[in-house]
Amino acid sequence: MLEYVVRRGLYGVLVVALVTVFVFLTLRLIPGDVVRLQLADAPGVGPEQIAQRAAQLGLDQPLLTQLGRFVADAVTGDFGTSFQSGEPVTALIAERLPTTLQLGVMALLVSVVLGVPLGLLSAVRQNSWLDQGLRAVSVAGLSIPNFWLGLLLVTYLALWFSWSPPLVYRTPAEDLGSNLVHMALPAIALGVTGMAAIARMLRSSMLEVLRSPFIRTVRAKGAPERTVLLTHAVRNSLVPVFSLIGLQVGHILGGTVILESIFAIPGMGMLIFESVQLRDYPVVLGCVVVYGAVFILVNLVVDVLYGVIDPRIRYA
Amino acid sequence: MSDIAASAPLPRRTVGTRRALRVLRRQPLGVAAGLVIVLLVVAAALAPVIAPFDPTAQNRADFLQVPGGAYLMGTDDLGRDIFSRVLHGARTSLLVAVCTLAVGGALGVAIGVVSGYFAGGWVDTLLQRVMDTLMAIPGIVLLLFVAALLGPSIRNTVIALSLLVVPSFNRVARGEMLRIREELYVESARAAGCSTWRILRRHGLPNLLAPILVVTSLMFAIVIIAESALSFLGIGTPPPTPSWGAMLSDGSRYMEIAPWMVVFPGGALTVAVLAFNLLGDALRDVFDPKQSR
Repeated sequence: MLEYVVRRGLYGVLVVALVTVFVFLTLRLIPGDVVRLQLADAPGVGPEQIAQRAAQLGLDQPLLTQLGRFVADAVTGDFGTSFQSGEPVTALIAERLPTTLQLGVMALLVSVVLGVPLGLLSAVRQNSWLDQGLRAVSVAGLSIPNFWLGLLLVTYLALWFSWSPPLVYRTPAEDLGSNLVHMALPAIALGVTGMAAIARMLRSSMLEVLRSPFIRTVRAKGAPERTVLLTHAVRNSLVPVFSLIGLQVGHILGGTVILESIFAIPGMGMLIFESVQLRDYPVVLGCVVVYGAVFILVNLVVDVLYGVIDPRIRYA
Repeated sequence: MSDIAASAPLPRRTVGTRRALRVLRRQPLGVAAGLVIVLLVVAAALAPVIAPFDPTAQNRADFLQVPGGAYLMGTDDLGRDIFSRVLHGARTSLLVAVCTLAVGGALGVAIGVVSGYFAGGWVDTLLQRVMDTLMAIPGIVLLLFVAALLGPSIRNTVIALSLLVVPSFNRVARGEMLRIREELYVESARAAGCSTWRILRRHGLPNLLAPILVVTSLMFAIVIIAESALSFLGIGTPPPTPSWGAMLSDGSRYMEIAPWMVVFPGGALTVAVLAFNLLGDALRDVFDPKQSR
């Protein structure tokens, strides 16, 4: 077990390192010279100024030297400074990351809190009208693009109920109520896909469990249906659903980028979106590496916990 | 059609036809989804003929017209006919999706097949580490940074989206290939002295077709959403080419006075995605009855 965790952890570190190299090289190889972009409009800029600025940013060094220097700094937690604002990338990300994580956790909560009951209901009432309806909702939920759903929620809540989310974003520390209200719509829009995926998977795994011999045994010994379902069936059918969460985290993390921009939430998504357009390499690089690290970490935790909740799983 | 090789598959074909008919009866949703997709393709192909207006023609006198009358789905802030733009948007979406799946799908399958056949070797290890790297970056983030750096154009969107789909095709193709390479017919082919290339091409690929078809359909859904997401963020299909994502982005500024600008392109997008998801589910049920629910 411990050996498995360590090995998976080390592999995770390797993948984060590979992501870093991949993004670093892609950023450098793609055309679009950041120095020219920054200085082009300024009056009186000659080749010397461009060369000087490039030297200042370390862009005149050979590619591998740049990469080596970046990695050496990155392992100490220093991702360099923003080309635009001159602030340390680590500070910029540290400021934005909690907001994105909050949105992600809220979206995941929406997925689980809605998805689990829907899936169970569907399975318990298999082939009833309720089941058919819920399955239709699941397929629709899987297909609705989250940004469209977000737009529709804002539009129709405003049109029908004259209700709009707060205009200005407040951190939870400043005004928790306003913050939660602001985050609610994007969290719902983001969580619906996960809800649908969980409901679907739970339905099929619950049906499979209900058909298994041990359930017949439980029924045979005269346990009330409540006990059969809640104590025996539900717990066992939740196991495969758990593995889905790791996957959903990827969708949710990606989705935060677009929903943060719709709802004007100053998280990592906004940061990377702005930085990409300004070709602020260090910030983009730092953001992608952090996204990758969060994704890998969550999946590692999910895989380890998977073995804890289902001891039959062997760590190979 | 006189040689034996050509006439041999004939009885199989009739069995296939009967099987196809049975499938049609058992998968009404899948068939409906298939019909929607055919309709979508026809609408996209004939968009210039069907569309009542030029999708880029601005008619400032008729801006933000309510749906109905001459404008079936209303007009946008520049007086462009939304129905015509939705039709032409289907063209953009499908074009990008087909190109992406051709490029990314071919690459992913090739990597998966080679990797699966040489599983455990250094080629496999190297290729799979690259795939893990691509998969570790959340989809939109990967698209965002590749597409934005390349600059907005349909070609660059296809490049970025291809990177997104390659790992999925790789995973399925590699998994299947791991199974196939242990099959007796592969062993016989090897014993008969077939080259690796011939084994992969004649025995590997044909047996991969069914699972690949399922992934392709599901990936269509993902690519169509992703293309719209990129265009919505303003780094996908550049204006004035009509695309659903860009229309949503335009519409988001007029949501409360002209919700139809958001409702129709988003609805078209959802219907397209839904159809490909349902088709993918139906195909999976047909090809892999063990997994059907």
